[in-house]
Amino acid sequence: MDAVSAGVNTAGRVTSVVAVERLVKRYGALVALDDVSFTIAPGEIVALLGPNGAGKSTTLGVLATLVSYDAGTVAIAGYRLPEGAARARRALGLVPQHVAVYPTLSARENLTFFARTAGLGGRAAMQAVDAALATVGLAERADEAAARLSGGMRRRLNLGCGILHRPAAVLLDEPVVGVDPQSRERIFDAVTALARDGAAVLYSTHQMDEAERLCGRVVLLDRGRVVADGTPAALVGRAGMSPRLELRTLRPLTAGWLDGVAGATLIDANGGGTMVAVGDTAAVPAVLAAALRAGADIREMTLHRPTLADAFFAFTGRALRDDEADAAPPP
Amino acid sequence: MIGRAFAAAFTKDVRLLARDRVGLVFLTLAPIVVITVAGLSLATLYGAAPRGGSAPILPLVDDDGGWAGRAVRERLADEAAVRVRTVATAAAARDLVERKAVGGALVIPAGTSDALAAGRGASLELYTDPVRTVDVGILRALVQEVRHALERGAIDRAQEELDRARTDAEDAQAHIVIRLRELRERLARLREQLAAARTRVATAEHETRTRAAAAARARLATELAPLRAFLADLDDRRAAFDAWLAAVRKQAGRFADRVPPPPEPPRVPLAVAELATLDPDALAARLLPADGTVPRPGIPSLPTLPALELPTMPELPAARLPGRLDIVETSVTGAPVRFNTFDQNVPGFGVTFLLLGVLLGVSLGLLHEREWGTLERICTTAAPLSAVVLGKLAARFVVGMAQMALLFAVGRIAFGVSLGPEPWALALPTTGIVFAATAFGLIAAGATRSREAVLPLGAIVILTMAAVGGCWWPIDLEPEWMRRVALAFPTTWVMEAYNDLMIRRRTAVQILPATGVLLAYGAGYLVLGLALFGRRAVR
Repeated sequence: MDAVSAGVNTAGRVTSVVAVERLVKRYGALVALDDVSFTIAPGEIVALLGPNGAGKSTTLGVLATLVSYDAGTVAIAGYRLPEGAARARRALGLVPQHVAVYPTLSARENLTFFARTAGLGGRAAMQAVDAALATVGLAERADEAAARLSGGMRRRLNLGCGILHRPAAVLLDEPVVGVDPQSRERIFDAVTALARDGAAVLYSTHQMDEAERLCGRVVLLDRGRVVADGTPAALVGRAGMSPRLELRTLRPLTAGWLDGVAGATLIDANGGGTMVAVGDTAAVPAVLAAALRAGADIREMTLHRPTLADAFFAFTGRALRDDEADAAPPP
Repeated sequence: MIGRAFAAAFTKDVRLLARDRVGLVFLTLAPIVVITVAGLSLATLYGAAPRGGSAPILPLVDDDGGWAGRAVRERLADEAAVRVRTVATAAAARDLVERKAVGGALVIPAGTSDALAAGRGASLELYTDPVRTVDVGILRALVQEVRHALERGAIDRAQEELDRARTDAEDAQAHIVIRLRELRERLARLREQLAAARTRVATAEHETRTRAAAAARARLATELAPLRAFLADLDDRRAAFDAWLAAVRKQAGRFADRVPPPPEPPRVPLAVAELATLDPDALAARLLPADGTVPRPGIPSLPTLPALELPTMPELPAARLPGRLDIVETSVTGAPVRFNTFDQNVPGFGVTFLLLGVLLGVSLGLLHEREWGTLERICTTAAPLSAVVLGKLAARFVVGMAQMALLFAVGRIAFGVSLGPEPWALALPTTGIVFAATAFGLIAAGATRSREAVLPLGAIVILTMAAVGGCWWPIDLEPEWMRRVALAFPTTWVMEAYNDLMIRRRTAVQILPATGVLLAYGAGYLVLGLALFGRRAVR
C-alpha cells in the first residue's frame, strides 16, 4: 500500500497534498533536516523560507522524490515516499531553481517533451503545451530555441515545463531569481492561478517579499529545523517584533536622551546610528522630539515595520542573508 | 616589478595546474596508457623481441621425410621469431589456420628432397590467414629464409662436387696431353716410314712399267711385222695395177672408154692401216691395259701402329644444379593472400570514431542533462527514468549505425574496401558494437560526476579499447597476453567479425558468435549502466 494516513482524512479524502512529518535527513555526520514537519493543503501556497544551508533544497529534493531520507514520513497526494514515488510523481510538478530546459530545443519542443514525460499524449499534450505557453506568456516565442530567449523568458519556460500537466503539488525552487519585473509578475500570476485551481504550492525562497506577497503560510527553516510555521503576520507577531526607528545623526546622541519617552526602547547606538524600538508607530513623534531636545542633528530617519526577516532574526538570531556553511547535499 | 609579476604568474599557474586533476590526468595518465599500449603492441613491428611468448606458433608438416624436411626443421628450431609445432597432416595444419589458432602453417610435401636433388622443381606449401598479416609476414620471411638456406645448401653441395670433378678433369687433361704428344711423335715417325715406302713403291712401279712397255712394244712390233709387210706389198700391188690399167687404157686409145672399169679392190680398214703406221709405243699404250698386264711392284708392309694409352677418364660427377624450390601460399579461406589495407583501416578507425561519437556522446549527453537540470526534472515525472534513458540511447544507437554505414560507404567508394560476400552481414557486428558502445556510454555517465571526469575516463577507455582491440593495427602485432586481455573488449570482437567478413570473405553465419558476444557485452553494459546511473539519479 502506497497511501498512508498522512494527508488523508478518515473518509479517504486527501486533506494535505504535501505532508511531511518528523522528516530527518543526514549526510554522514551532518544533519541536513532534523524533525521537519509541515503540510500543504490543496490551493495553499506555502513559503519555505530560510537562509542558504537551512535545508530548503534538501526538503524540496525529498519531496521531489530525488533525495532519500532517513526518518519520518513524507507523502505526496497521499502516496508515501519512497514506496509510492511512482504514483506521487504523477501529482508532482517541479520547477527547479536552475532553468532545466533543453537550450537548443524550442519552447514548444521543451514543453512537448515534458508533457510526454508527464504521461500526456497526442491532443492532450498539445493542449497542455498551448495552455502552458499562454500561462507563461510565451505563445509568441514558442518556436524559438530556449537559448535565444531572455533570462526571464527562460524562467517562465522553466515554470511552464513544471506545471503544464496541472500537478496537484507544485514545488518551486527560487523561481524568480534574477528575472526582470515583467517576468516576475507573470510567474507570480501563474503561481497564484495554480493555487486558485487547487494545486498545493511549496515556494522555496529566501526572498521575504516574495513569501509575504504570495504565500498564505510560511515555514521558516534554519539549520535543518522548522523554527516557525504560520501566516506571515502571525510569525511576525509571534516573534514579538515591533516597529523600529532608525536615526542617523551628525553626532552621537547623549546618554539618556530617550528617558521618559513612553513605548520606546533604545536597541542600539553606534556613533551616529541609533535604533529605537517603538511599541506603536504613534510613539515616533515623541522619539523624534526627544532627539531634537537632545540637540541631535538628524540627517536621516527610517521607520522599519517588522518583516519576516525580522521575525527570522528574532527566531534564530541570524539574518536570512547570512551565508553560512551550506548544508545542502553534496554534489 | 617584472620579475615579481613573472614569479607570481608562474606560481599561480603551477598551483592551478596542480589542482587541475583533469589536466594532470591528460598530461600523465592518458599518454602513459597510450604509450604503454602502443609500445607493447608495436614492439614486434619495430623489430624488438616479442615479449610474453608472443612469437607466433608455426605448425610444421613434414610429409617429405628427407634432407629437405630435416633442414627446414633444424633451421626453424633455433628461430626465436616462431615456435615450431610438428603437426601430423596437412589437413590438421590447415584446420589450425582455419580455426584462427595460428596465422599460418608450413607443409613440406612428399618428394621435395628427391625433386630438389634431381634438379626438378619443388614447392613448400604455406597455408595463411590473410588477416594475420604480421604472423604471416614473419612466416613468409622465415620460409623465404628456409628456402634460400635449402637452395644455398644444395648449391654448395653441387659446387663441391663440381670442384672435385674439375680437379679430376684437369688431371685427366694432363694425362691426355702427354699421351697425345707421344702419339704425335709416333705418328710423325710413321709418316716418315710411309713416305719412304711410297717412294720405293713409285720407283719400283715406274721401272716395272717401263720394262713391261718395252717388252710389249717389242712383242707388238714382232706381231705386226707381217701385217705391215702385207700392207706394204698391197700398196705396191695396187700401184702396179693402177699403172697397168693406165697402160691398158692408153693402149685402147679411142676405145679406152669401152674398157670396163676394173673391179674395186678391197679397202684396207683404217684401223688396220693404223696398225701399220702407228708408233709401237703409242700403240702399246693404247692396246695394253693399265694394269694386269703390268706386274704390281711389291708394297712394303705397314708399320706397326703405336699403342695409344689413354688415361682413365674421371667419372662424370653426379652433381646437378638443384631444382627450384618455390613457395606456394594458400589462403585457407579462399580470400586473396594480400588485402587492401583499407579493409583494416576503415572499420578500425570507424569503430574508434564510433566510440568517440557514441560513448562520449551518450555520457556527455547524460551529463548535459544533469548539468541542465533536465535529468532531475525527468526524475520527478511519471516517466520511468529507464525508459527515458533508453530512448536517449536509442537515438544515439541510430546515429551510430548511420555513422558506420556512411563510413563503410565512403570506404567502398573512395578506397574500394571489400564488403565481403554478404555486405548486409556487416550490419550484424555493427549493431553489436554500436549497442555496446552506447551502453558503455551509460556506464561512463553513471560512474562519473562531471564532464571533467568523463573526458579523461572516456579518452583512456576509448584509446585502450581501440588500440588493444586491433582497431589501429592488426591485433597479432600485440603480445599474446595482450591479445588475451583484448578479449575483454568489444572492439576485439567487432574487428574479428569485420576481418572475417571483409578480409577472410566469410559469411554471416560464421560471425554470429562474435556478434553474440558483442550483444552480450552490450546487454551487460546496459544493465550495469542503468544500475549506476539509477543510483546517481537518487541521492
